[in-house]
Amino acid sequence: MRAAPTQDEVRRQNLGALLRWVHLHGATSRAELTSLLGLNRSTIGALTADLAAARLVAEDTPKGLRRAGRPSLVVRPQSASVYAYAVSIEVDRLRAARVGLGGVVLDRRELPRPRGVQILETVAPLAGFVREMHRRVPAGAIYVGGGVSVAGMVRREDGLVRLSPHIGWVDEPIGIALAAELGGDQPMTVGNHADVAALAEHARGAAAGCDNVLYLYGDVGIGGGIIAGGRRVTGHGGYGGEVGHMVVNPHGKPCGCGSRGCWETEIGEAALLTAAGRAGATGRDAILAVVDAAERGDTTARNALRQVGDWLGFGVANLVNIFNPEAVLFGGTLRDVYLAAAAHVRSRLNEMALPATREHVRLRTPALGDDATLIGAAELAFERLLADPLDAAGSPVPPPR
Amino acid sequence: MAVRPLLEVRGVDKSFGAVQVLRDVAMNVFPGEVTALVGDNGAGKSTLVKCISGIYPIDAGQVVFDGRPVTVSSPKDAAALGIEVVYQDLALCDNLDIVSNMFLGREKRSGIALDEATMEQMAHRTLASLSVRSVSLRQPAASLSGGERQTIAIAKAVLWNSRVVILDEPTAALGVAQTAQVLELVRRLADNGLGVVLISHNMNDVFAVSDRITALYLGRTAAQVRTSEVTHSQVVELITVGYTGSIGLLPDPGSYEGMGGRS
Repeated sequence: MRAAPTQDEVRRQNLGALLRWVHLHGATSRAELTSLLGLNRSTIGALTADLAAARLVAEDTPKGLRRAGRPSLVVRPQSASVYAYAVSIEVDRLRAARVGLGGVVLDRRELPRPRGVQILETVAPLAGFVREMHRRVPAGAIYVGGGVSVAGMVRREDGLVRLSPHIGWVDEPIGIALAAELGGDQPMTVGNHADVAALAEHARGAAAGCDNVLYLYGDVGIGGGIIAGGRRVTGHGGYGGEVGHMVVNPHGKPCGCGSRGCWETEIGEAALLTAAGRAGATGRDAILAVVDAAERGDTTARNALRQVGDWLGFGVANLVNIFNPEAVLFGGTLRDVYLAAAAHVRSRLNEMALPATREHVRLRTPALGDDATLIGAAELAFERLLADPLDAAGSPVPPPR
Repeated sequence: MAVRPLLEVRGVDKSFGAVQVLRDVAMNVFPGEVTALVGDNGAGKSTLVKCISGIYPIDAGQVVFDGRPVTVSSPKDAAALGIEVVYQDLALCDNLDIVSNMFLGREKRSGIALDEATMEQMAHRTLASLSVRSVSLRQPAASLSGGERQTIAIAKAVLWNSRVVILDEPTAALGVAQTAQVLELVRRLADNGLGVVLISHNMNDVFAVSDRITALYLGRTAAQVRTSEVTHSQVVELITVGYTGSIGLLPDPGSYEGMGGRS
């Protein structure tokens, strides 16, 4: 039989809860924390003191309030000095950022990535970005770890990128390779774009407060990040949520994964551009050019968006029936496709999904935009800190300067 | 879920001389939702908005705000209730900066001088609440792009603790990227708890952000439907013939449909 939690465990739990609150919601007064976390005032005082001593939070007197009585101190995350590194490996670009506690992007770097570049070729420039940013970190700042967001399937156990058809990788240990290149002591936590973006939007974006969320990320392929009952659904090995490979058209086009008629062969970048008579073009600008042409009355572009919008609604309807989400977010280039073809997406969804599963579903675009993958990757690293604030604050060794 | 509408229009009639422009029009606007107001040119959308915002008096019917019947006999009355309209022409003064535009005609004063600090703070807070970061507060309106002008015009409407914001074709004449940003802004207004009315001819805009659709047909309300219950072609039918299936202004079985419609 399991014994009752020890005092240490309870304290760790409470420290984590308090830090998580200010990390997600920003500066909050002690009085509010007392009622929000259901702890008494002296406990909040003691927890805040511990976190402040570890330099994870700071306390200020609130400004600009003119109310009677002694103002309650405001607890805020030390965003400028507690940080994680976030790396995002996308089809068309490589990005890295230094993200402060509270999800604030403190510094960032970006490089276009020609399609077909292999793993060893991305590790060096990404590590270069991190080293460059690291030279500008103020003395005494606290490093909590690093996270990587990749357009590919990621093994949960060790962050191995198993298959990334559009990047051309098979079985690449990117987290370890990056850490080795940087000389740090811990591998970076690796996640799939859609999962990581879903995490960020759920934490502090368009899906904040929703427990059941579907995030669809589109570029060349289509990824899905699923949050069910407040938890990320990643499956047994970490490969779940590959909604882009849900077969929607058994007689459809062959897919890069070896199957036929996968959803992404109907709604991915190539599907839209080919239908619009622009086969061979790639990237977001090409997608926006189709939307623009449709807006100006180009019937080929209009029909292409209508067709892709219809297939988008088809897949969303199936997913809405299965997961009954409160919100479906369209990220990456799917944001632009959704906004330009919403009439067709909605119509197909309304025709196909069950009334009970669709009646309260909100279709939304992400609030964090393209930053979602960076903020979410940092979130992977902050997760360790939030689980045990006073232990993790000391442990990971930052990359050497 | 019995949420009360924030704004209810009941049985409103409006004539200009012998021409009856609105006949028994109804529309409900709920807090936290975008209600799309659609209809062909001349269906009465603009007239309805002008009746709600106190520019035209109504001949018959009722406007109910927050459960109370109200008389809106001037735009000032509408503003006092918390109803703001953003018209297509945006009416910003090119020579004034963003803060001055947002407070134009309703400036904050301290003594006899303008209270610039307070106005700047309020403008900043409003823009931040809408996640607008691309503009600087002291930039003259002349230097803004079309999308930014639309954003400032919307922010101006939100500044006054308004509760219902009516947007007349906010994406007309905008480029692709700016249209997307303005649509996201429209959605955010409602997600922040406002009742939003979106007038649009663009079915993608309507389906992208609305929760309900009110369709006007020849001065009458053809239907009020939830966006999750209809298809694109049904809405187009409501706009063009006034009904779809069993929804809408069903044609009188004794007459030939369409014959007397546009007399």
